[in-house]
Amino acid sequence: MFQNTKCECGHQNPPDTLLCESCGKPQTEIAADAPLEMRYDGMARRSQKRNPNPIDLVWNFFSSVKIAIILIIITLVGAAIGTIYPQGNRADYYKQTYGWSGELYHRLGLSSMYDSWWFVGLLVMIGTSLVVCSLDRVLPLYRALSKQQIRKHLMFITRQKTVYTGPVEDNAEQWVQELASHLKRRRYRVHTDGTALLAEKNRFSRWGPYINHIGLIILLLALLARTIPDWKVEETIAVRDGETVQVPQTDYYVKNEKFTVEYYDQNDLPDRLKQQERPKLYKTEAVLYKCVATCGEPGIDPVLEPVKNYDITVNHPLVYKGVKLYQIGYDDTPLLKAVKPVIEDKRNGQVYGPFDLTMKDPQTEYTVGPYSLSLKAQYMEFALNDEGNPVTLSRDPKAPAFIFVVKGPGIDDAGEPYMYFPLQKDKQRFSQDLINRDLVSKMEIRVDGMENVSFTSYSSYLLIRVDRALTYVWVGLGICMLGLLMGAYWHHRRIWLRVDNGVLSLGAHTNKNYFGMRSDVAWALQQMNIEVEKDKLDNGGYNS
Amino acid sequence: MGKYRKPIQIVIMLGVLLLGGYAIGKALFASSETDRPEVGGAAPNFTLLDLKGQQHQLSEYKGKAVVLNFWGSFCPPCVKEMPEFERQYVKWKDKPFEILAVNLSEGDLTVNNFVKDFQLSYPILRDANRVIERRYGLEQYPSTFFIKPDGTIMDIFVGGMTEQDIDRRIERLLQT
Repeated sequence: MFQNTKCECGHQNPPDTLLCESCGKPQTEIAADAPLEMRYDGMARRSQKRNPNPIDLVWNFFSSVKIAIILIIITLVGAAIGTIYPQGNRADYYKQTYGWSGELYHRLGLSSMYDSWWFVGLLVMIGTSLVVCSLDRVLPLYRALSKQQIRKHLMFITRQKTVYTGPVEDNAEQWVQELASHLKRRRYRVHTDGTALLAEKNRFSRWGPYINHIGLIILLLALLARTIPDWKVEETIAVRDGETVQVPQTDYYVKNEKFTVEYYDQNDLPDRLKQQERPKLYKTEAVLYKCVATCGEPGIDPVLEPVKNYDITVNHPLVYKGVKLYQIGYDDTPLLKAVKPVIEDKRNGQVYGPFDLTMKDPQTEYTVGPYSLSLKAQYMEFALNDEGNPVTLSRDPKAPAFIFVVKGPGIDDAGEPYMYFPLQKDKQRFSQDLINRDLVSKMEIRVDGMENVSFTSYSSYLLIRVDRALTYVWVGLGICMLGLLMGAYWHHRRIWLRVDNGVLSLGAHTNKNYFGMRSDVAWALQQMNIEVEKDKLDNGGYNS
Repeated sequence: MGKYRKPIQIVIMLGVLLLGGYAIGKALFASSETDRPEVGGAAPNFTLLDLKGQQHQLSEYKGKAVVLNFWGSFCPPCVKEMPEFERQYVKWKDKPFEILAVNLSEGDLTVNNFVKDFQLSYPILRDANRVIERRYGLEQYPSTFFIKPDGTIMDIFVGGMTEQDIDRRIERLLQT
């Protein structure tokens, strides 16, 4: 019933131990020729114990490498499916662009699958697997490697994958010391115990895979962190020349001081593109402000402080404290911003003004010479509807119109209405003079010269990007790479030997590159004047 | 791990449940990919001024049904449905409901003239710089949101509404 797990050397081993923790003697019956199972130096892996309770069952599930690989494959296939059609669009987009397959894709929820509960669930499971697999293996490994016996059982030594046995004539202890000094030259850490020796090199490389996993866990947590509000922002804004617009979801405001476009010279364009205006360079001279008071209060302007100036061009974003503003396009429809009209008294030719008339939030009262103007109505894009009433077609000043009530010389004391179109084209289209026929002989509001007209020519499109998790992603990946390098470029090598009555028994083990291991052993023996061919050291078994 | 094995296992499992539960839960209950408010979802809060300069917060109206109408003078169907809303407002005056008409970032003069012409008695709120417009993901006008007393959206109507359309929905709204 109770298995005796005490080794003949006297050490009490836990159940399921393959090689004695102390002397290395095999605890179970193994085939006569087979080399030893050296995983974890033969120590028991606790997740294999009997009578698992429910927690153990869950633990064992996640501890399995087979399960981890299956999870990774499922995630890979799932992620690949997400690349069939572009993610994140609305239902009608898929139906219109891809037909029935697109609609099915969207219905199945595949059009936004990287945020879906099952994909996130898979990532969580992979993360759990990472943690449990690593923990379950690194602890026995650490125990195995930190408490190593120098003098191992003969069976342990002669059943390694690299073995040498042969006679030694000289004084055994001296011989061992001499060999030790040679091995030290090859950067081994050597421990001797009389006629036994343990030489070890590059133990740190065994921790490589675990450091790799820590890096991956950090990476996964960083990716998860992106779901925290404000950690990931991606928005587009349009900023007109001279305008200041809030950067969405932040306390920053960006001002477009000036937008410039440079076009390619017609001679530089290939024939098929000639006759087109191809932009060569476009940039926004931008100023980034931070709101320091009264931010977000309706009706009150925020108090802004400038924090950075930068000329934003394509692929050269303005970066400030993790907020990035990219130039992604522009619109070159010119919009009227303000005019400076004058008023002429038609009866005597006297001209008064100019006065400032802005399209956005204009003043309602003006005094120009002897005239007083009271702004009664404003239309951004003037038109007449079916009933012949004035309406506006949009919010942009594409065809601005102003209705004033004018008081002044020669005009009724109660005031008379005057309709003013700042743009010549609208003046003609809507017959301004006809509308104002009662006043046309007495006064005229007009703009003299283009210098009294200001346009905004461009609207700059900026892409706002914030990704606070990115630094952690890089950190995670860096640690991951470190672990990979540690595990791949260095290999853990150990050599055990003992001299018993003039017979040298030597066994060596490494986790990778047995060729190099044999090379080291042959070299060391050669220094002691024992010539042996490297191949002869090979004791069989599966060598990597 | 020895005798610390069980506690460590439990700690790790708890950690996984918490973090994993949070992540999966967030994915399960997240808003749509375009982040626009949808039927059944919460109506995004806002603070806007009315024509008298008083602040109105959407959250203040919890417990009352709210009809949130976005309009602009440049949008003929918006203009057409305004008298209908006024009539409905008068009809249901005794019930716990409110109509909030948010203007789409137009100038003072335009909005004031408009309201004067129509003699509207329900609150007219002023959006500035298209902020709330973006927050509600509006693409066409008019857009009207019917919001239940608990703050969730019962219905979204894009386009001009007839008095019947409005009436039916307000009735449904008041039943919740």
